[in-house]
Amino acid sequence: MQAKPIPVPDELTRPFWEAAREHRLVVQRCIACGYYNHPPRSACDACLAQQLRFEQVSGQGRIYSFTVMHQRDVPGFEAEAPFINIVVELNEQPMLLMVSNLPFSERERVRIGTPVKVDFEERGEIVVPQFRILDP
Amino acid sequence: MSSTRGRTAIVGIGYSEITRRSEKPLGLLAVAACRAAIDDAGLDPSQIDGLTTYPESPFAGAGNRDGIDVVSVMYIVNHLPLAADIRWYAQIETGMIASPIIEAANALIAGACEYVLVWRAMHRPEGRPRVGTSGAPRAPGEAQFMAPWGCTSIVQWHALAWQRYMHRYGATREALAALAVNSRRNANLNPRAFFYTQPMTRDDYFNSRWIAEPLCLYDCDVPVDGCVALVMTTAERARDLKNPPAYIAGWGQNTAPRRTLLHYALDDYMECGGSLARKLWRSAGLGPADMDAAELYDGFNPSTLYWLEAAGFCRQGEACIFVHDGRIALEGELPVNTFGGSLSEGRLHGMGHIAEAVRQVTHRAEQRQIKDAEAVCAIDGSPMLRGSGIVVTSSP
Ligand SMILES: [Zn+2]
Repeated sequence: MQAKPIPVPDELTRPFWEAAREHRLVVQRCIACGYYNHPPRSACDACLAQQLRFEQVSGQGRIYSFTVMHQRDVPGFEAEAPFINIVVELNEQPMLLMVSNLPFSERERVRIGTPVKVDFEERGEIVVPQFRILDP
Repeated sequence: MSSTRGRTAIVGIGYSEITRRSEKPLGLLAVAACRAAIDDAGLDPSQIDGLTTYPESPFAGAGNRDGIDVVSVMYIVNHLPLAADIRWYAQIETGMIASPIIEAANALIAGACEYVLVWRAMHRPEGRPRVGTSGAPRAPGEAQFMAPWGCTSIVQWHALAWQRYMHRYGATREALAALAVNSRRNANLNPRAFFYTQPMTRDDYFNSRWIAEPLCLYDCDVPVDGCVALVMTTAERARDLKNPPAYIAGWGQNTAPRRTLLHYALDDYMECGGSLARKLWRSAGLGPADMDAAELYDGFNPSTLYWLEAAGFCRQGEACIFVHDGRIALEGELPVNTFGGSLSEGRLHGMGHIAEAVRQVTHRAEQRQIKDAEAVCAIDGSPMLRGSGIVVTSSP
């Protein structure tokens, strides 16, 4: 069985992964116009400014969509299938989307619009942000 | 209506064998399809002086060895004796297979060449590529925001978009079942289709296994090894050839800026698909109501629904209702994917759709022929991602 894929941070993305190691969720934001860019860009998607910095965000959002993958052909996830992927729309900005997993035990609770909050999964040499359903 | 309307035509169609996995390398399948298309047009290979293709691998990371995974312009130049001096070629990397057809039409109108060969060769690779051989796979670049969560398969991205569509419009899987069963029924009348001899019922659809919920096996096209080729020329030259010409009335490509840059975000589909449709209808001088059939891309089943709305065949959010009550059947008011689509003919990446549009307007569609068909559109791609399309007509 293969281990789950390890991200290879580059000069654009290193702050994201370093913050995750400290259990903080940061998103690249444009200093000029305030737009959040994710994945990080070399110039702002909204205004093309190059003055960008990483800011900590609330880590809260809602489930934008979800799927349950049954095929055992996703690298590192062969043994895990079926497994849940959600896309989270962060509260900070419309269509500011991040991919996450949910534990399979949440299968009956996963719905579009459900509030979620970031958590952090230790995975050997890295830490991966993972969103979890926010209990009322 | 534009000055390009009816000035070029598709005059030959060639299919290689279409099988799950061919003993022949892809390059030889492409040569066979090209020879068949030239022969169908009643031309000699030495008359072909233009070449174009869309040589994309079936999925990212699937390899791009020429003649094995893809078939480039240079592969055909090296393996098929054509005109001594090829006057024009283009290898298109955006849009989909209608995009090289659009470029070929422009080249013919400009007088850059006389007879163009267009092909799309599709290979079904063995399994999924592995990133590295031991230890954890590495995820560089944009993959670092998808692969660590196992969200790297195109079918997962389509499932995310379709889940969102169902949520937004209250659609159910019944719409996809109706499309899949309609396509299979048409494929049972298409001797080239992978599923020619296998019927499928609504129950078969609902009993099939999940791939990525809410998409099941029959929402995914059937991967095949094969190639389809076409011959194009000017309207003047087309009149002297053996087949009735399928005149190219108009075309369009997706050009709207995408807000999200993410394949799976449904939200852009009307805007991006609409950017194609507006140009398509304006250049053709025709509209959705003039179409005798619509061949709409179905690499994954929901894309057909999105195109029905984005191209204006029905209103936004209503395709899931439109596809019922026999409306999209061969004898219905708008026959859709009359050859079986990629779902049931095989994954030819849009070329099957174009070949069928040509057959219908030239009245060469065998048992599937729509009576007096005069205008048919073929649109490739998924509207929120990319796409290109053409309208073909039986008169210029
Ligand atoms: Zn900005």
